[in-house]
Order: sequence, then C-alpha cells, then structure tokens
Amino acid sequence: MTMSALRRPGERDRLVVKFTQIDWTMAFALCLLAGVGSLMMFSVAGSSWEPWAGQHLFRFGVCFVLMIALAMFDLRVWFALAYPIYGIGLALLLAVEFVGDTRMGATRWLDIGFMSFQPSEVMKVGIVLALARFYHGISADDARLSWWLLVPAAMIAAPVLLVAHQPDLGTAMLIAMTGAAVVVLAGLSWKVIGAAVISFAAAVPIMVLFVMHEYQRKRVMTFLNPENDPSGSGYHILQSKIALGSGGLFGKGYGLGSQSQLNFLPEKHTDFIFATLAEEFGFLGCALVLALFAALIFMAMRTASLAHSHFGRLAAAGVTATFTLYVLINGAMVMGLAPVVGVPMPLLSYGGTVMLTVMIGWGLVQSVRVHRYSEVTSGKGAFV
Amino acid sequence: MSEPSIFFSEVNERQGAFHRRSFLLGGFAGAGLLALGGRLAHLQLLEAQRYEKLSASNQFNFRLVPPPRGLIVDRNGEVLATNRPNFRLLVVKDGEHEPGPTLKTLAHFVPLDEARQARLLREFERTPNRVPVSVMEDMTWEQFSAINIRAPELPNVTADMGEVRVYPHGGAFAHVIGYVAKVNREDLTETGPNSEPILLHPGFRIGRQGVERAFDLDLRGRTGARKVEVDARGREVRSDPGGDIPAVPGKTVELTLDVDIQKRALEVMDDESGAIVVMDCRSGDLLCMVSAPSFDANRFVRGLSVAEYRALADYERRPLLDKAMSGTYPPGSTFKMTTALAALGAGVNPDERINCPGGWRFGGRTWRCWRHSGHGPQNMHEAIKNSCDIYFYHVALRIGPDHIARAAKALGFGLAFDIGIPGQRTGVVGSTEWKRTRVKRDPKWHPGDSVSYGIGQGYITANGLQLAVMTARLANGRKQLNPRLIKSVGGVEMPPGDKAPNLPFSQEHLDYVRAAMVAVANDTRGTAFRQSQLGLGDVLMAGKTGTAQVRSFDGVADRDSRSVRWGLKDHNLYVAFAPIDKPRYAISVIIQHGGLGGATAAAPRAREVMRVALLKDPEIRARITQPLPLPDVSDLPPVGMAPDGSVLAPSPDGGDPV
Repeated sequence: MTMSALRRPGERDRLVVKFTQIDWTMAFALCLLAGVGSLMMFSVAGSSWEPWAGQHLFRFGVCFVLMIALAMFDLRVWFALAYPIYGIGLALLLAVEFVGDTRMGATRWLDIGFMSFQPSEVMKVGIVLALARFYHGISADDARLSWWLLVPAAMIAAPVLLVAHQPDLGTAMLIAMTGAAVVVLAGLSWKVIGAAVISFAAAVPIMVLFVMHEYQRKRVMTFLNPENDPSGSGYHILQSKIALGSGGLFGKGYGLGSQSQLNFLPEKHTDFIFATLAEEFGFLGCALVLALFAALIFMAMRTASLAHSHFGRLAAAGVTATFTLYVLINGAMVMGLAPVVGVPMPLLSYGGTVMLTVMIGWGLVQSVRVHRYSEVTSGKGAFV
Repeated sequence: MSEPSIFFSEVNERQGAFHRRSFLLGGFAGAGLLALGGRLAHLQLLEAQRYEKLSASNQFNFRLVPPPRGLIVDRNGEVLATNRPNFRLLVVKDGEHEPGPTLKTLAHFVPLDEARQARLLREFERTPNRVPVSVMEDMTWEQFSAINIRAPELPNVTADMGEVRVYPHGGAFAHVIGYVAKVNREDLTETGPNSEPILLHPGFRIGRQGVERAFDLDLRGRTGARKVEVDARGREVRSDPGGDIPAVPGKTVELTLDVDIQKRALEVMDDESGAIVVMDCRSGDLLCMVSAPSFDANRFVRGLSVAEYRALADYERRPLLDKAMSGTYPPGSTFKMTTALAALGAGVNPDERINCPGGWRFGGRTWRCWRHSGHGPQNMHEAIKNSCDIYFYHVALRIGPDHIARAAKALGFGLAFDIGIPGQRTGVVGSTEWKRTRVKRDPKWHPGDSVSYGIGQGYITANGLQLAVMTARLANGRKQLNPRLIKSVGGVEMPPGDKAPNLPFSQEHLDYVRAAMVAVANDTRGTAFRQSQLGLGDVLMAGKTGTAQVRSFDGVADRDSRSVRWGLKDHNLYVAFAPIDKPRYAISVIIQHGGLGGATAAAPRAREVMRVALLKDPEIRARITQPLPLPDVSDLPPVGMAPDGSVLAPSPDGGDPV
C-alpha cells in the first residue's frame, strides 16, 4: 500500500487498512517475551504445561486479541472515554476503601460476583488517559507553570493516596511515577521538577520512619542489609542473587537451575521469574531479554513521538513509562537493587491481572500508532 | 484558555517540549536498562564463582553422620559402655510447616500424649529451622516401618536408625563412667570442639560425668558426612555417595577396673550407702571403685523424667553422689597407722606402754576409749591391734598436729590424684598452719584438737580413694603409689602409678605398722579377726577397722543403740591388704552410718571383695592350689567362712571392736 492510497479520504478509517497499520514488529516482540515467560514456567514446573505455562500462553493469546481490538478504536474514542475511565477507577478505589475484600492484611480486591479484581489496575491506564486528556487541552505555558497544574496534581494524588492506604505501596508508587512522567513530558517547569525531587528526597526518610507499616519498613531494612537475616525476610533477595550469580555467562541449562527447580527461589514463576531465566540461560539470555525490552520501549516511544495529537503522544508515552517502570523496578528487585515490592516483570511473570493491564496499555499504544495522523479535535479545553 | 490546538506555534511548542523531554526520559529508561545490564554482568560474570558456591551449598548438603562413640572397656576388654541401634523419629520445622499438626498426625502411629507434644513444641521453639528434633527414640520395628511407609505424606518427618549409648552393667560403673545426655544450650560454645555443628544433631550425646565427660573428645571420634542434594525444604532429592566423608569412630578407653570385682562390690553393698575401692599395691591400678547406692546410667541417656530425677536426688542415701571420690568422711581408727608412723618418725619409742583405764580426763572433759573397761598398759603394736584410743590420744598430744599432717600427706590424705576423671574432694588434713588460715572463728590449734586428731576425728577427713591409696602405700611399703584408673586411650598406655618417689618413712617403721595391721586381722584378739579370714589357705589379709562419729556422744547417748536413726549412726570403715607376705591388693570400705565398729559392716564386705580380687589373680590362684605346707603348730583356730556359708553377715558373736 502506498502513501498516496492512504491519502484517499476515509481510506484510513477502513478496518483492513487500520489492521495493516498496526506495528507488527512491536506485536511480535510482545509475543516473544510472553513466549520466554511461558518457556520458563514450563521449566520450573518440571517440564510441564501445568499449572502455569499453558495458562500463561492462553491468557496472552486472549489479551493479544484484545490488544488488536483496542488498536482499532479511534483515538477520539479513547479521548472521549479518558475522564470516564479515570472517574470509574477512582469510584472503584473509593468502593474498595469501604467494601473491599481484605486479604493478607491489605484491602485491594473488589468482589464483583463472578470474579474479584484490583481497581488499582484500572487506575494504571486511567491516570495516563486522564492526564493526556487534560494536557491536550491546555497551552504549553500553562503546562509549564500555572495554577492549572493543581488539577493534574490532584488527579495523581487522589488515586495514589487511596492505593497507598490499602496499603499497596508498590502500585501507589507506580501510579505516582507514571503520572509524574506524563507531567514532565507535558513540559513542567524545571524549577518545579527540581523542587519536587528535592522535597521527595527529604520526605523519604520521614516516610520510612513514621508513615510506613511495620512490614513495609521491614522490607526496606531487609533490602538495605539482606545478609542480616538470610532465612527470614532477607531470604528472597539472597536466593534471587544466588540464582542470578550462579547462572554465569551461559547459564546452567534449560531445566537445570537448581535454585528454581529445588524451590530455593521464592515466587519463581511470578515476581522472580527473571531470576529463573538468569539462572538457566545466564548473562546472554538475560541480555537478550533486556534488549527485547529496550527495543519495545524504543518502539513505543517512537510511536508516541510520531503521533500528531498531543493526547496520543502523552497517552502512548505514559503507557511506555508505566511499562518501563515495571521492568526497571522488577529487575532492580530481582537483582537486589531495590526492596522486595510486589511488582511483576511484565509479560514474563505469571498473573492474569497484570497481563490484562499491560496488554490494554499496549492496545492504547497500538491505537496511537494506527491513528497517528488523526487530529483529536473534539477536546476544546481541559475538561470539555 | 483559548483553543490551543488551533495555534500552530502553540502546538509546535508543546510538541517540541514533548520531544525534548521524551528524549530525556527515554535516556533515563535506557540508562536504567543499562544499569540492570551492568548489575547482571557484575553478578553473573564477576561474582559468578561466589554465587556458584552459594548455589552449590544450597543444592548440596552435607548431612552430618555422627561417628560411633568410642567403647569403654575394663582391664580385660569386657565392654562397659557401647552403642546399640536405635530407631528414632525426627521432625524438622521450616517456615511452611508448623510442627504442631505434624505431631498430631504422628500421634496416630506412635504414642505421643498431649504433655509430650507440648514439651516437644517448646523444644521446637528453641531449635532453629531445619535442625531436626528427635520426637521419639527406640521405636519398635512396626512403628518404624509404619512411619517410613507414610513418609511421602508426612513432610519434614524422617524415621532413621541411629545409635544410642548403652551401659550393659547398669549401675555398677555409673559413678566412674558417668553417662551421656542431650546437648544443652550451655554446652555450646563459640569456638573449640563444642562449636561443631554435630552437637546440634539430635542423635548426638555429650559426656556428662566421669569418664564419659573427661574423655568426651576422645570418645566422640570424627564426624562424617553424607553428600545429598536437597530442595529448599531440606528434603533429600538425591544422594551422592562419591562425596561422602566417612565417620571415624571414637577411641576406645580402657579402664583399670575389673568388671567382676566391681559388680561383686556393688552386690555386697546391698542396701548400705558407702564406697569400696580396690587398688593394686604394686602398680597403683584401681580394680574397683564403687559407690552405693548407684543408679542406672541408661536412664540418663534416655532422659530422666522430673519425678525420676527427684526420686534420685531426694533419697537420703544420695545415689547421685560418688562416695568413693566426692564423699569425705572422718577416717576414724583407720587413721591410727598414720598417727603411729608420725609418732615413730617423731622419736616415740614403740615399746613404751601407756595405760588405758578406759577414759582420760583432759582439757575439762573425759576422753573415752571405745572399750569403756579399758585395755590396760598398751604399747604401739597392741594399741593398733586393739584400736586403743587412749594410747593415740596421748601420742597425738605429745607429737602435735604437724608431724601427723606430714605423715598423712605422705600417705595420700588431703590430695586429689590424677586419675583422669574429675570430682575428687580432697578432704581436710589439719595442722597449725591450716587451722590458722582456714578456721576463721578459732584459728588457734588447741591441744584438744590434737587428741581427737590422733584417732582420725576432728580436723581430718578423707574419701574412699584416699583410704585405699593410704593402704596401698603402706602395703607397698616403699613407694608413694599413685592410683591409675585409665589404662589406655585409643591404645596409648597411660603412665602407671608406680613411677613415684619413695615414702618418707623408714623401712623399719613401715614394717612395724604393717605387722600391727596383720595382728588386727590375724591375732585372735585383733579387732577384726573373725571378719578377716579369707579362707584361702596361707593367703592372709591384714587390715584396720575404723568408726567415725557423726555426732558428739560425749557419754550422753548409747553409741551402740540399734534404735539410733540411720543418719545419726557412726560411719563404719575398714582398710585392708592381702596377702600379708607379698601384698597384692589394698581395699578400703566405707559404710556410711554402718554403725559402731569397723568389723561389723565394713570388714565382711572387704573380705568378700578381696576374695574375688585374689581369686581372679593367676599368681594367687597358683599359690592357693598348691598343697599347703604342713602346719607346725595349732595355735590358730580353724579358718573359714560362717557355718551357713554366708560371708556377708557379721558373725553372730562379733563383738564391738573399733
């Protein structure tokens, strides 16, 4: 198909054309990563599709189709639904606060009859959409420094506080950092950024000492000195580092990782699946997977910068920021650079909710890609 | 706010800002990923070896194999302490499985009542994760196989075969050998042999008393290990026999004791409380060292219940006390040889006669002889033979305490001997110097102190071992023999007891005292004549009786009263050696609160034990089986046992000699 063909009026709105405009390289990279995840689950289950590997592939398949479907939605639809999705997310978070299920000391789940889910996941996409929608409607000057900025500040603060109160510090941080990324991308004044960074750095010790829950504080302390308590809470980090380090350059071989196969590695198929990979495929395997992640992030950022609409740019970049944060936080945790927080490795880790959230995000990125030329004009201001 | 997207410059400005910032954030993301890559390289390339080791130490576990504890044998190789197989049930706890429900499940297969479960749970709390706790010992084969069949459904449970210490002769050697018991937290140390991980093994036992404690390190042997591959719960996945390290059994400890003599000695003690020590007069080897009543060391290995322990600890005859070494008693008249040697050394003429009217008024009180009617004029020989107290009151007063103390120390009083095991109490040997430094409320030595000192009362106490050493030194007649209990450890012979300096007494004086001891047992008027006849032909025994007061009678109460409460009766002592011509064995017998007169309770027992010792000796046997030389005169009455064959019961007409 030539560029001239695409210039025909209405041609871009045809479904077949949209289909060809999907970034198939990116889709292929997603498939590869999910495949690697399934491969590792097959290994740690003792060469069995049960109970994780098959389910993981199946879920990815369903989510992949969903991603393609979402990519077909015009950006204007996303645009129009941005505030409603955010609003619903916020309402659900409030609902969790009052009627949520409490599991393991944290109120994160909402029971909706046939299934229970975490509204904080909705917020991960909702915050990106709402902020993109908001910045789409204001000028560069206003985005740099103005009283308008109180609005995104409130938009970020509300879900972050609600999620932190559940308590789910990992997700709260993720939402806050995603929001911050969008705000920065939208052109926030460097002075404000500087002030925020400094005050954040000053606030961290206070948070650790006075605001955090005991188990959260323990995790942080354990992270700072994992060898102190090798069989207690430092166990996770230590075993993960042993798995990584003992993998060496080439790894111990597929299915031969003693750390994961003999259950020394905790959460070997979910949060710590990267350590399983590192043990069996070594530095080379890890480097390849990290390169794949880098390529995905690069492709997503390129998609964002190619978008004609400010909404599209910010939305795609926001999703990319979330995805990148997932990868960096999980990687740092597995390698003993960050405390153990429940952040999985996207696409590699077993888990339905995360898979769904991540693939909805990629659906949005693909939609931005497909509709990169579309001008979102329906928005005339920040809220209307 | 106007419609921003209409103004091209506005849009451009926003787009420009976005692009600049997206480069920046993209850079951050790239830097983050590179940092992860760098960290990976650090862990996987630079530190790989370190983590490989850690991984291997996770994956491969050396399961410690306790070495078989060394045997303890008697002088003839008879086993006194050995090990027997033991089916035991071990449970480990980890983070995943609580031991409580596991114990409840196990209670279906082995008897585990609520109280025992509660005790075990407390033990689990003290034990670190992955260190097994012994839930049951000595399971039957049925219980063992029932557990083993169900092993796959019982996580963290293993039934295995270990070894447990067993003492085939029960209580006969309990005080000497001691026993082994579970390791307490107090036993564990940061460094040294007690820091080794094997001490945490549930089958490991540590020596608690006697030889088991003193030679614990020799008996332990070297811990072996079995190389196994384990999963995170510590369950074995595979074993790797190539990597095993064999355990080295503990060394054998050979004692100088003789099982037959030891067991007979405990038997003859019957219900009495006391000690019997037999010592070789030539080598210093201890052939018997018994303290009665005794206890079954096997019960200590299994672990005593509180009730059992209380029963042992609260019994007034103190079975847990080693009376041969740790119990000190006034030697009474068995001390008279010492006083005699001291007097001879101080220039007292043995032929000088001192009249014994039965009592002596001195220092404001009346000092009585045991024979209230008196012995009449006595020389030293007669005074020992008749155990005349008045004679020794006078002699002791004349020579003073320091001569006596010197002689006593030369004969072994007040000393702790290096016999390899701890627990000896030295007792007291009084002297002016000693009293000045040790008796704070009355540091001056009074003449009255010397008077009672002379007959082995007052500031003189001794244990059974010291009395045996004294007798053996007298019998040996030349050397300051040292006792030896440990013959060899791991085949290495221990130094014998006869490598010792000579006694500081003249041969003439020693011979004089020994002749008096012979008279005690062989002169028809000697205090222990009837109870000292061995019935072994010309193999005769020499001895000395003794009574030690436990309270002051002062003529108030009747010392001989059989109605006196056990705890207030006199101690009954006897020391002896045989044969009189070529002394071979020395014996000391202490019968705690045995009543008045060394001949009544102690001497018959000494005679029986001495007979056993002599009859085991090939040299003596050869001598006995030879025909006796024709008797030339018949001034001695027939020699032999009591008519009913009993050698234990005091003769019916046994008088009252002290």
